This record gives sequence, C-alpha cells and structure tokens, in this order.
Amino acid sequence: MAAREYFTEHRRLWLGLCSFFFLVAAWELVLTYIVPVNPFFFTKPSLIADAFKEQIQSAKLWHDLAVSSQAFLWGFSFAVIVGIPVGLVMGWRRRVEYSLDPFLTALYASPLVALAPLFIIVFGVGVLGKAALVFLLAVFPFVFNAFAGVKSTDSLLINVIRSFGGREKDLYLKVILPSTMPYIIAGARLAIGRGLVGIIVGEFYAASEGIGFAILQAGDTYRLPDMFVGIIILSLIAVGLTELMRKLELMVAPWRASDEAR
Amino acid sequence: MASFIKARDVSLVFKSKDRQPVTALSNFSLDIAHGEFVSIVGPSGCGKSSFLNILLGLIRPGNGEIHLNGTRITGPGQERAMVFQEFGLLPWRTVTANVELGLELKGIAPAQRAERATELIKLVGLTGFESHYPHELSGGMKQRVGLARALATEPEVLLMDEPFAALDAQTRDLMQMELLQIWERTKKTVLFVTHSIEEAAYLSDRVIVMTARPGRTKDILKIDLPRPRDYEMRLTPEFNDLKLHIWEVLKEELTSRG
Amino acid sequence: MKLKNFYTEHESFILGTGFIVFLLILWESIPLWYTLPKGMALFFTTPSDIAAAFHRLLLNGELEKHFYVSAIAFLAGLGLSIVVGLPLGLVMGRSATLDALLDPYVTASNATPRIVFLPLLILWFGIGIWSKIAIVFVGAVFPLLINTYVGVKNVNQVLVNVVRSFGASEWQLMKIVVLPNSVPYIIAGLRLAIGRAILGVVVGEFFGSSQGLGYMIASAATNYKVDVVFVGVAIFMALSVILTLAVKQLESRLASWRPETAKTF
Ligand SMILES: Nc1ncnc2c1ncn2[C@@H]1O[C@H](COP(=O)(O)OP(=O)(O)O)[C@@H](O)[C@H]1O
Ligand SMILES: [Mg+2]
Repeated sequence: MAAREYFTEHRRLWLGLCSFFFLVAAWELVLTYIVPVNPFFFTKPSLIADAFKEQIQSAKLWHDLAVSSQAFLWGFSFAVIVGIPVGLVMGWRRRVEYSLDPFLTALYASPLVALAPLFIIVFGVGVLGKAALVFLLAVFPFVFNAFAGVKSTDSLLINVIRSFGGREKDLYLKVILPSTMPYIIAGARLAIGRGLVGIIVGEFYAASEGIGFAILQAGDTYRLPDMFVGIIILSLIAVGLTELMRKLELMVAPWRASDEAR
Repeated sequence: MASFIKARDVSLVFKSKDRQPVTALSNFSLDIAHGEFVSIVGPSGCGKSSFLNILLGLIRPGNGEIHLNGTRITGPGQERAMVFQEFGLLPWRTVTANVELGLELKGIAPAQRAERATELIKLVGLTGFESHYPHELSGGMKQRVGLARALATEPEVLLMDEPFAALDAQTRDLMQMELLQIWERTKKTVLFVTHSIEEAAYLSDRVIVMTARPGRTKDILKIDLPRPRDYEMRLTPEFNDLKLHIWEVLKEELTSRG
Repeated sequence: MKLKNFYTEHESFILGTGFIVFLLILWESIPLWYTLPKGMALFFTTPSDIAAAFHRLLLNGELEKHFYVSAIAFLAGLGLSIVVGLPLGLVMGRSATLDALLDPYVTASNATPRIVFLPLLILWFGIGIWSKIAIVFVGAVFPLLINTYVGVKNVNQVLVNVVRSFGASEWQLMKIVVLPNSVPYIIAGLRLAIGRAILGVVVGEFFGSSQGLGYMIASAATNYKVDVVFVGVAIFMALSVILTLAVKQLESRLASWRPETAKTF
C-alpha cells in the first residue's frame, strides 16, 4: 500500500526510469538474440559499458577532456569578459545600442560556425583556434542577455530608489544588478551550448586530440562503442552544465522561479 | 417549492500530489426553483467555484448527486452555461467568434450562428464591436461577451462565478442592472456566486450563506424586496438591514478560521 | 535645422547602417594604410574582393549548384522535423504518461549539442544528402518539439473549462484552444529550429558532403581562397537574417489578436 502510494506520487520519475531501462534492455536483447549486431554499423549497451569502463581507466580520455576544456574555458572566459560589458553599455547608452544592434543581431542570427575552417587555418589546430571559435559563438548570448537585462529593469523601481534618496551606486547595486543577473546567467546557459558546438566542430575539423577528435576518430576506425562513450560523456557534461546554470539561475533569482520554460 | 435544481449531500475532496487532501465540499445540499435568482456567498476557498463546476459537469463529486429538472447531471450539457470571473474569452477570436463558440460546438450552421450572435451582441450592448479582439475591450465589455456567449446556446440555467469581481465599481453597478433586466426578460434560472453581500442582496430572490471549508449551507435568506429593483432601492433602510443580517451570518464564518 | 529633425527621427536607422558601412570601409581600407606581413596577407581579403568573388561564382554557375544542394538538405530536414516535432510536442503536452516516458530522452538530447552525432550519422547514412538531412533533423526537431510542448502546457485552464463546458471533445479542445494557444510558441520554436537547421547544413557539409555551400567554404579554406570563404559565410548570414525576418513577419501576421507589447518574446 505504501509502495503503491509512493509510486503514484513519483509516477513521473518512475515512468522515466522504467522507460530508460526498458529501452536499454530491449536494445541489448534484440541485438543479442534477434538481429546479430554488425559491429561496424551498430553496437549494444553491454559493449558500450565495457568500452566505458576501459576508457575511464585510460589516460587518453582524461587527456582529451583536459585539452577540450582548456580551449573551452579560454574562449568562454573571453566571451564573458567582452560580452557582458558590451551588453551593459548597449543597455545604458541609447546611441551605442542603435549603432551596434543591427550589426550584432545579424551576427547572432548567423551560423558563425561557418567561419570554423578559416579560424582553424588562421589560428591553428591548437588551443587558440578552438578558443577563438568558442569565443565567437559564445559572446553573443552574453551581449544580448546583458542588454535585455538592463532594458528590462523596471523604471518604477528606479524611481522608488531615487525617491528614497538613493544614489547612482544604489541604483546599480539594488536595482539594475539584481534584475540583470538572471538574464546573464540565462545567457551563460545558451553560451555553454554554443561554445560546446564550437569545440566539437573545431575538433572535428582539424585536431589531433580532444573529445571531439576522439569521437571522430572512433567513427573513422569503426570503433562504435568508443564513439558512443564519447557522445555519452559529452552529453553528460552538457546536461550537467545546463542544470548547474538552472540551479544558479534559481539561486540568484528565486523570485522568478521557473516562469520561463525556455 | 418544486425544485428545478436539486443537490443532495454533495461532497468533494481534492487529492493533490504533495499536499494534504482538501475537502472542498461536505454534504452540501440545495434546491432552486425554476426561474429563481439565487446567490451564494461564503468565505473564499469554501468550495463555491467547485460546486458550480460540478453543476456545470466539469468535475464529478466524490459523493452525492445533482439533478436538473429530474435528470441527474453527469457531464456538460446545453441546458447549463457558465459566466467565468476571468472572462475566459479566447484571445485569438473576435467578439462574434467568441459568442459563437457554444453554437459552433453544437454544430449549428455558420449563417444561423452569425444571426444569433448578432442578436446577443445587441442584447448586451456591444453592437459595433463585433470584430474586436478581447485585448481591445475593457473589462466590462469582456464580461458582456462572456454573458452573450453563455446566453447564445439558450441555456435554462445560468451559472455565474463572481462574474463582476474583476470590474471597477461603476462598471459593476451598471452590469448588475443590465443583468437584472436580461434576467427579467429571459427568465433564466440563475445561480450567482459573489463575494459582495450588497450584490447578492440586490440581485437575488434568495441568498445562500456557506460555511468555511468544507463548505456546507449555513443559512438561507429570502430577499423579499419588490421587483423590478433599481439602484435607489439600495439606499433604503430595509436593504441595509438585509445586508447587515447577511453580514452577521457570514462574519462568524470569516472569523472562525482566523 | 531640417537635417537635424531628419536625423533625430531616423537616428536608430542612421546609426545602425552607418556603423556597418563604417566597418566595411575600414576593412576595405586596411591595405591602404597598413602593409600586411607575408604570412597574414595569405588570409586577408577585402569586401571588394569578396564581392568580385561572388560575382565570379554567380556567373560560372557554381554558386547556384551549391546553393541548390544546401537548400534541399535544409528544407527536407526542417520539413521532417516539423512533421515529427509538432505532433509529438502536442501529444506530450496532453498526455502525462507519454510525457514521463519520453522526457529523459528529450531533455538529454536537447542539452547535448546535436552536432556530436554527425560522425555517427555519416557512418549510418554515408556521405551525401541523407546524412545531412539527418543532422538537420536532429538539430531542428527539439526546439520545435519543446516549444510546442510548452505552448500546450501553458494553456489557460479557464479556457479549457470554457470549451469543455460547451461539451467539446478532446479533439475539439485541441483545435479550439490548445493549438491556437501554442501558435506563438511554435513560431518561436520555428525561429530556433531554422537556426539549428542552418547550422546542421553548414557543419554537415563540412564533413559529410562533396557539394553544397558548406563544402564550398571548407574546400576554399583549405586552398586559402579566403574571399570564397567569405562569400559562403555572407550567403549563410543573409539567409539567416532573411529567414528570421520572415518568421517574425509570420508571427505578427498570425498574432493580430495579441496586444502589441506581447508580440516578441
Ligand atoms: N484543482 C484543485 N486541486 C486541488 N485543490 C483545489 C482545486 N480546486 C480547488 N481546490 C481547493 O478546494 C477549495 C475550494 O476551492 P474553490 O471551490 O475554488 O473555492 P471558492 O470558489 O469558494 O473560493 C480551496 O481550498 C482550493 O484550494
Ligand atoms: Mg472561486
């Protein structure tokens, strides 16, 4: 009885878990007993699990991750350092907004990843080329979200602070910053996704190490389990970072709860 | 009194995921005669909306049953229509298309629908606004559309859930007068939920005061004021005595819960 | 005086285009005041060179050929993602069970940059149109699915009650309330999906193709034909901007019932 009630209360979670285990089991069973697996074309969970165990113990995986992370962090940090101030200034200064908006909007809407081959050729296959690509892709969410954050500041609140004798400093600290922070973190969430695209494409295009390269190489040599391991690890990193940003968003702006689903 | 609407021992419990079950109604009974105008007042959360939703056929009671003209209510039906507090207009439909909603779902042909909609739009005084969208209307106008939509399918029972609560005081007074005129002309049976004692006393033949949750009938007061009623009547001592009486009954329920 | 009025009235337009024109002129004039070192000159091009390359590629028909290939992959992949994502989003929004069953995959796939699947898709579908359609599809389907889902979930319960109270069936409820309510969300999803689809085309053609604009860019880069790279990039930029504007147009067309302030989100 208690178990049953527990199930109905956490129905969603249980259904999700069941669906996952059912899929994995079906995948395994079908490829073991019904259709023999063609190892150059497909693989099955038990083989992926073996490869996973092996890879976690190998130094290569950790080296690849370190290489990719380094490029990602450089590009991402520069995106923060450049993107947020530009967005803030755009939000504060009308003329700056007018001047930059069409140009940056066009860039933001464009698949700038198309510049990847050029970037790799100009900046090289090492950290610099990939970091430059990550920067290029990740900077715009920071610009536009910081901009939107400043713009969304309620002018009534500014008047309230002024009416209590608040100074310029108070305006920034008590109104503009708190209302801009959630936007910037939401921007960071978008930027993470775009930055990862930069890393992956950069490493697909030309690299001799890194997680993207490892996935590509596994594919080129028909080591499907290794390829799946790479994809799963990248997926876990992406989900982890995205969730982290969601938590952070809730932390700096608990009043917004999750009214925005996107 | 022959009852047109007869509710017997209606109970309703809401079971929600992470909270205690809420008993919204417990053994709630009521009788309404044909053509009668009855109001329900009661503390908020006592189950008034829930009762209207049961009557409308949107939720099933856990216990008890409701009969309308001798037939048990098991789901939505043409003889009942509701006017909602939040208006409930489809924002992507024009006034006309909103009024036509019930007719459309009944399968009435477009030409007849349009004719009937025009008639009702005129009845509620919105002629000229047929092709406006809800966001272009004031609150009072929106509720006129809500009323026209409810009347369009010619229901015998009109359910109104705090229909004027979102309106400003003057619009509210105006809408009350117009509602009375329409009621006197069409002779619908009306069940009207409100927070306002004054509104209940002014409009109704009888006022039902409900207890705090779980909702039950606390008292039923007959309003023996002559009809047609007008605004001036609300300034008479008799009217004020009635209001005071309702207030005294209601007050115990409001304070009993803190 | 008149000039000043003109300026204040059109300030945003003048500053916006002015800035872009300024950047272009600056870029064009770099060789005039700065001699690039040998190594860098190889990677350098000017707007006029790019325009000339564009003209040349247009005349010899190469651009048309590549464009056509890219457009097919884009349209097929995006079309497929609409056909799959939209109904699935609607159904997941209405059925709690299906939602719970599919949610793990949707959430995980959406957070993962779908581009990592490219080597796998190339392995399965080979180099050519099919792997491109597949990568466009996996890129574009999730924003559509998720936005449709959110639109369905956000439907106002009062409206559902209104329509139910008139005896509507689940199908009528879908048609009268749920679907119209989701339209703005679906269009926002479409805007995202178009961006993802273009990304898929570009990257798909870098690796899994011997034709198309993405291929043109990649092969030009390998041969240091920087002007051709920029022709490709500029075409993708122009297409993205045009499509984004078209969707915005569609949005305001379909949403005439909404107050002005709520139109963008
Ligand atoms: N769908 C629901 N799920 C859970 N509880 C509900 C639901 N609807 C109403 N309730 C609860 O039932 C009680 C009665 O609600 P309602 O009928 O809306 O009251 P009223 O209209 O008299 O203010 C309230 O305590 C409310 O919180
Ligand atoms: Mg209520």
